[in-house]
Amino acid sequence: MRLRSVAALLVGRMLKISLRLLHRRGTSLPGLVMHKVSRTLLGDLLRQLDTLVIVTGTNGKSTTTALLHSMLNGEQDHWLTNEGGANLQQGLLSALMAYANWRGKLVIKRAVLEVDEATFPHVVRQCAPHLVVITNVVRDQLDRYGEIDHAMHLLQEGLRDQGITIVANGDDPLATSLAMGRDLSYFYGMDQSASQAAMGDEVRDGAFCLNCGSELVYDHFMYGQMGLYRCLHCDFAHPNLHFLGTIQDETGLSIMECISWRQGHEAGRLDFHVSASVIGLYNWYNVLAATAAARILGRSPAQISRGAHAYKAPLGRMQVFAGPPQRILALIKNPTGANSVLRAMMEDVCEKRVCFAINDLDADGRDVSWLWDINIESLVANAHICAWYCTGRRRLDMALRLKYAGVDPASITVIDSLEFVGKYTSQSTAPVYVLSTYTALYALAGYLQAGESA
Amino acid sequence: MMTTELRIVHLFPELLNLYADQGNIAVLRSRAEGRGLSFTVRQVKLGQPLHLENADLLILGGGSDREQAVVAREMQRYKEDMAQAVDAGLPLLAVCGGYQLLGKYYELQSGERIEGLGLVDLVTRAGNTRLIGNIAIHWKQDVEYSIGGGFASSSRLTNAHASGNRDESLPHTVVGFENHAGRTYHDYDPLGSVLKGGGNNGQDQREGLQYKGILGTYIHGPLLPKNPHIADHLLKMALAYQGMPAELPALNDQLEWHAHRHILSMLGISKGEVNDV
Repeated sequence: MRLRSVAALLVGRMLKISLRLLHRRGTSLPGLVMHKVSRTLLGDLLRQLDTLVIVTGTNGKSTTTALLHSMLNGEQDHWLTNEGGANLQQGLLSALMAYANWRGKLVIKRAVLEVDEATFPHVVRQCAPHLVVITNVVRDQLDRYGEIDHAMHLLQEGLRDQGITIVANGDDPLATSLAMGRDLSYFYGMDQSASQAAMGDEVRDGAFCLNCGSELVYDHFMYGQMGLYRCLHCDFAHPNLHFLGTIQDETGLSIMECISWRQGHEAGRLDFHVSASVIGLYNWYNVLAATAAARILGRSPAQISRGAHAYKAPLGRMQVFAGPPQRILALIKNPTGANSVLRAMMEDVCEKRVCFAINDLDADGRDVSWLWDINIESLVANAHICAWYCTGRRRLDMALRLKYAGVDPASITVIDSLEFVGKYTSQSTAPVYVLSTYTALYALAGYLQAGESA
Repeated sequence: MMTTELRIVHLFPELLNLYADQGNIAVLRSRAEGRGLSFTVRQVKLGQPLHLENADLLILGGGSDREQAVVAREMQRYKEDMAQAVDAGLPLLAVCGGYQLLGKYYELQSGERIEGLGLVDLVTRAGNTRLIGNIAIHWKQDVEYSIGGGFASSSRLTNAHASGNRDESLPHTVVGFENHAGRTYHDYDPLGSVLKGGGNNGQDQREGLQYKGILGTYIHGPLLPKNPHIADHLLKMALAYQGMPAELPALNDQLEWHAHRHILSMLGISKGEVNDV
């Protein structure tokens, strides 16, 4: 460890402490300052790891990482992780720093880290990951990275080392294409025989074959671009699954594992059950992803089940604030993720209200045109919504979106400041789903928490 | 009385759907139906016949680089039909990648040229950086739209006269978001002059293109929800193309203009600045 790095560590740590005293969240800012002092520090810390597991992809990183950490971490076996979605370089630094002693040595040598696509190749260059989970690759934050092709390129670059084990969502053609043709790839996916979803008009970025450019054909369809797809013009198709999940009821996932383990492991098929308190199909995909990775890393079904049971939703991942009225905070950042949240809302049959908090800062994606790619029309028709609220910097764009989805503008309340969401929504007992982009999330969670205890 | 039917043709939605074109279509539908016009949308996928004789307005959106290259290659077969229709005045809204595709070519940084439709004398060259961000322009409203040639009925429409927005307090600006690496050059009328943002190429302060029935622009967001005057302009061109030029009764656009002005104020554009142009 270089002297410069030790100094940077000190500066960062002091800044983090002083920010805590000021009651500010310190997930990214201390790292940002420290990054200027020593660009090599992240590498120094990463290189000390014995085992690195990375969760990357567009949607579901935070939930999958939290679930996997809960399954891996035990009294005898300590794993560190980056909580709170801090998945860019600075956030990773802040997270690792918390586990470094004053001499800059990591006290825990195993890590499961959520890593943003753009940061992924950089992290891999510093420390070869043992295993990489790819949740999905869908349209996200177009203006930050250009377009989806660029995200795919970054992931391909990070996965160049054929020694990396990949656990990929087989129902997603883009995640699958990243993992295909490698010895150490494992695929998970959902049992689609029970799927009732019709092929919607939703944006399907992966709906084209990456091999030959032809449109993919879907025999079944789950959500977004997830489904049972095949190309009519070349041999690209949905892979054989090593982990097949079937959603049993509201609280459980039954899993069929089909792997010919190398010597020392059981061979063939294994069936087990995992339950977790999560809301929405997309979250069951996250449970399945974490389960698959934990199995590959040698965890028993019992350990996995315990870990899933102990899991609590991270900030803004369908996080419930007690009422009345009950408020459910969900992060939305792109059409596929947002549509998944909407679908979960439609599964909930009681009368409800919805508040959109839409910001357009860098971390949100500055282009809000994706609001027009989310299926508000279906929400209007199917979700029993009795009142609408719009807040955030682009509250008027959202209000317009609602108007053109058929919502009477008179039933839309535009709230100028996030601070007043609690107050405006407190006049009725119907639960409120608060759908927020990234930069409004922390503030809203704070306000809703305060309202909970009042 | 027979209802007038507006027939929209949405070109290649399976590939060019990156910037929420359904938002533009939802706005056109709502504003047409609000005036008692019937409104149909026909999607034409790549490879299917165009049947432009049954179209009053074409919509061509943008896609990812990968998808756009596929479209450029496959679109060549439509070239002649489209050129004929556009020449006769068929209105066409082309946004972002669709705008680039109207031209002769898109030149990559390697120097390789992707051939476009060549409907207009326009070229695009890839830049080193992307022009990204909120944008506002002053709409060049005095561009005349006229159809004629082979058509029995001839009609003219000048935005300035026929505009439903006679209320001078309403903005003559167009607002939205741009995100493009291509730098576009042409000598036609632009859609407007740039107040804030990059525009066609980040250099000449011009944004978009207006020529015959073609309205090309880099502005999405999508374009029409916050710019109801542009939506009505397209509807009027489509009606005129049918030989039924009409004034459109005003709608309640309070929320639309509120959202429009919100962007102007976010960009720090004062009313005076807009009027000075």
